[in-house]
Amino acid sequence: MKFIYKDLLHFLSDKPSIKNLSERLFQLGHEHEINCEVFAMEFTPNRGDCLSLIGLSRDLNVFFGKAQPYKIFQEEIENLNLDFKNLSPEVCPKISFLEIEIEGNAKEYKPYLENYFSLLGNKKVNFFTDISNYISYELGQPTHCFDANTIKYQLIFENKICEKSFKTLLGTDINLGGKNCIFSINDEIISLAGVMGGMSTACSTSTKKALIECAYFIPEAIIGKSVKYNLASDAAHKFERGVDIQLQEEVLRRFIQIVRDHVSIKNIKIQTFDEGQDQKAKIPIDVKRINKILGIDLEEEKYLTHLSKLGFGIEKEIVVPTFRHDIASQNDLAEEIARVIGYNNIESKPLKITKKLDKSTDDVNRLKNYLIKNGFSEVINFPFTANEEKKSISIDNPLDSNKNKLRTSLKNSLLENLLYNERRQKDSIKFFEISDLYTKNNEITQEKKLGIIISGRKSHNYLDFSKKLDNAYLSELLNQDSKKQAFVIEEISRKELKTKKKDKIFYLEISIDKIPKHLFKDSESRIDQINFIKYQSVSEFPSSTRDFSFSIKDLEKYNAVIDYLSDLNDKNLKDAFIFDFYENKKLNEIKVGVRLIFQSNLNTLSEEDIQKSVNELLQPIIDLEGISIPGL
Amino acid sequence: MSSLDKINPPAISKDIGTLHPINQTKDYLLNLLTQIGFKEVHGPEIESEDFNFDMLNIKKSHPARQMHDTFYVEDKSNVLRTHTSPVQIRSMLKSQPPIAFSSAGKVYRKDDDATHLPMFHQVEGIYVDKDVTFSNLKDLIHQILHNLFGKDVEIRFRPSYFPFTEPSAEVDILSKNGKWLEILGCGIVNPIVLKNCNIDPEKYSGLAFGLGVERIAMLKYGVNDIREFYKSNLDFLGQFK
Repeated sequence: MKFIYKDLLHFLSDKPSIKNLSERLFQLGHEHEINCEVFAMEFTPNRGDCLSLIGLSRDLNVFFGKAQPYKIFQEEIENLNLDFKNLSPEVCPKISFLEIEIEGNAKEYKPYLENYFSLLGNKKVNFFTDISNYISYELGQPTHCFDANTIKYQLIFENKICEKSFKTLLGTDINLGGKNCIFSINDEIISLAGVMGGMSTACSTSTKKALIECAYFIPEAIIGKSVKYNLASDAAHKFERGVDIQLQEEVLRRFIQIVRDHVSIKNIKIQTFDEGQDQKAKIPIDVKRINKILGIDLEEEKYLTHLSKLGFGIEKEIVVPTFRHDIASQNDLAEEIARVIGYNNIESKPLKITKKLDKSTDDVNRLKNYLIKNGFSEVINFPFTANEEKKSISIDNPLDSNKNKLRTSLKNSLLENLLYNERRQKDSIKFFEISDLYTKNNEITQEKKLGIIISGRKSHNYLDFSKKLDNAYLSELLNQDSKKQAFVIEEISRKELKTKKKDKIFYLEISIDKIPKHLFKDSESRIDQINFIKYQSVSEFPSSTRDFSFSIKDLEKYNAVIDYLSDLNDKNLKDAFIFDFYENKKLNEIKVGVRLIFQSNLNTLSEEDIQKSVNELLQPIIDLEGISIPGL
Repeated sequence: MSSLDKINPPAISKDIGTLHPINQTKDYLLNLLTQIGFKEVHGPEIESEDFNFDMLNIKKSHPARQMHDTFYVEDKSNVLRTHTSPVQIRSMLKSQPPIAFSSAGKVYRKDDDATHLPMFHQVEGIYVDKDVTFSNLKDLIHQILHNLFGKDVEIRFRPSYFPFTEPSAEVDILSKNGKWLEILGCGIVNPIVLKNCNIDPEKYSGLAFGLGVERIAMLKYGVNDIREFYKSNLDFLGQFK
């Protein structure tokens, strides 16, 4: 919600600077941004009372004092005698109506009203509606303006199940369903109460006589309606958070005053229907308890002064004002005091927790570390899937209607991870995931499972480069005794995967409980130190691979070559490793195969770019006597 | 060296994989809490509304309970937990103070954009004993944030609102570029929650806090897009060895 800085000042006896005001708003817990002397506020959902100039200033009064910023119509007003029936007083315990008839048109708005439109970017609609919108900004109480000439028969309010269509004042047709708070005439819905009025009774620029409705609806009756019918509404936003049950008549008197500021009033009548439910909550005065909650030592006098400045009544007990729906306990009052003192001004006091012996065995972390030591990378996947089995758990309201089940296996997620990396030119992939899986039979069951997927080269080192990851590798990894099959290793067929790769894919899924513990008993437990590296963004451009075979005839230079190759450095060089090593005893020479992988974060590398890098990287070796790259 | 006999083949460096950076961060936080005295507890990701909302004083009318915020499963019989707090509720029901529990894991909310994911990770802690105060909570939060971001980090507490804590606070740290960054939520456990867990709020009080693991990981590693964590890209994962 947006507020004009100068409007707020009218409500404060001191006149703080924008900076000072901003600091106090943060202290009170009201986040905001400031642009051209307009505060764009974000309030927590419990502070509906702050959604107006008067509401926000009530919080600020504790620092900047209180001013009476506006006039209200004080004269006696004739009773309306409206033909109105409230069939649901439990959701609308108080409602007031003002009938007002004017003469002439407002030629231009007074600055306070005009600024609301020009500085906050609000759209003018018609005279009565404009005042209604402004009053909601000023006092936080939504009102609805009916064209009085359209209300010819008994007006009924009720909270009932209705399956009718309704045209809003914005011209949108909505189909009501379930329980709704509605106003109706002759069984025709004329307003979705607390959310939006209807087209058939709306005021227009030619309306001279209006019926202004001003109600208190319990939040529970309004919550969810604007979302359900996709009707963005300031009224609903405020009613959902709770308005002040004692403010209705004052609001209507303020309405009259604003009308009178602009045009002549021909006639006014007012009526309130009150079920008498506006009793104020009371909380015992207990400053000791407040001090105990906060860990401070505040004197009672100061405590009561703070609360008084926030609008609380101080009697034998603390009287909670009717606009504060969020205050019901000593802890709530403690928060009020903490806000006034400032959370940052409350001193820290040492906390020492007596440690209890944690007997957890940490098997999962040991297992993870065992796999990581064997070259596996852990992945984490979302559980949402399209795959449906009888035992799958359904999501009632999925984000994607095609993924409305919870996975019952880790296989498809891991396969997707593998294929994603194959498409990114990865030739040695070893992934694992450990996750709870949920299934239903008669009831929902939970099982922690390990999924492993492998494909491609066993490793990039020269001993394993030409070997492929296979069934035997997985069996050995998990120390499987072939006579006692504890788990099944599955080869996933590539037929349906439509991949160019030919490497076999192997998959294994096993319940954590079934993995022999001796496998990982010597592995480390959970890490207690972490090196928070600075991540480098991943390139979206393709990589290029170049293989070179060095012939080292001068064996004296062997160590220097190996050292040099182990420490290659170029801005486009992403990876380099020795994939081949061969001692030719006949010729008394060594052959070393090196793979260089180039990739840029900025663009796809051209042949020239790569060649330039290759030349710079390898020239120092080529220049050495007794070392050559056959074919280069 | 002129003979092949004296040549040592190149050293074989063993391939080492990677623990997922989110789990690295989560484990780091859990270890830190264990060192402070918290005991790790676990619970299911599919929860009843009772444990996920009601016991935590999140009323039926609260927006978080609506279908557009929470994933409901099996004809609204349960929810995918929206936080790890129900784990603490379950554990408190089985214990009496003094208690200090930490819980961590996946949580789900119906969000999917550049800054929010439908699944993310939380680490939470709760401590209940006699005379636990807001100033104790501040001390604990300072311990955690000093460990994470260094002793010199500037910390700010702001009033906030959570149904399960009162008073509630959000905590920011001052980043190097001079902007305040929201790091965690915390507060004094609402006496209603203690009562729901059969703990006498007249005798005991508690503090609670929760951190988003992705948020901490993004800040510590310098990852700008939360979605990177879940692409399972080896070029990404390989950086966190």
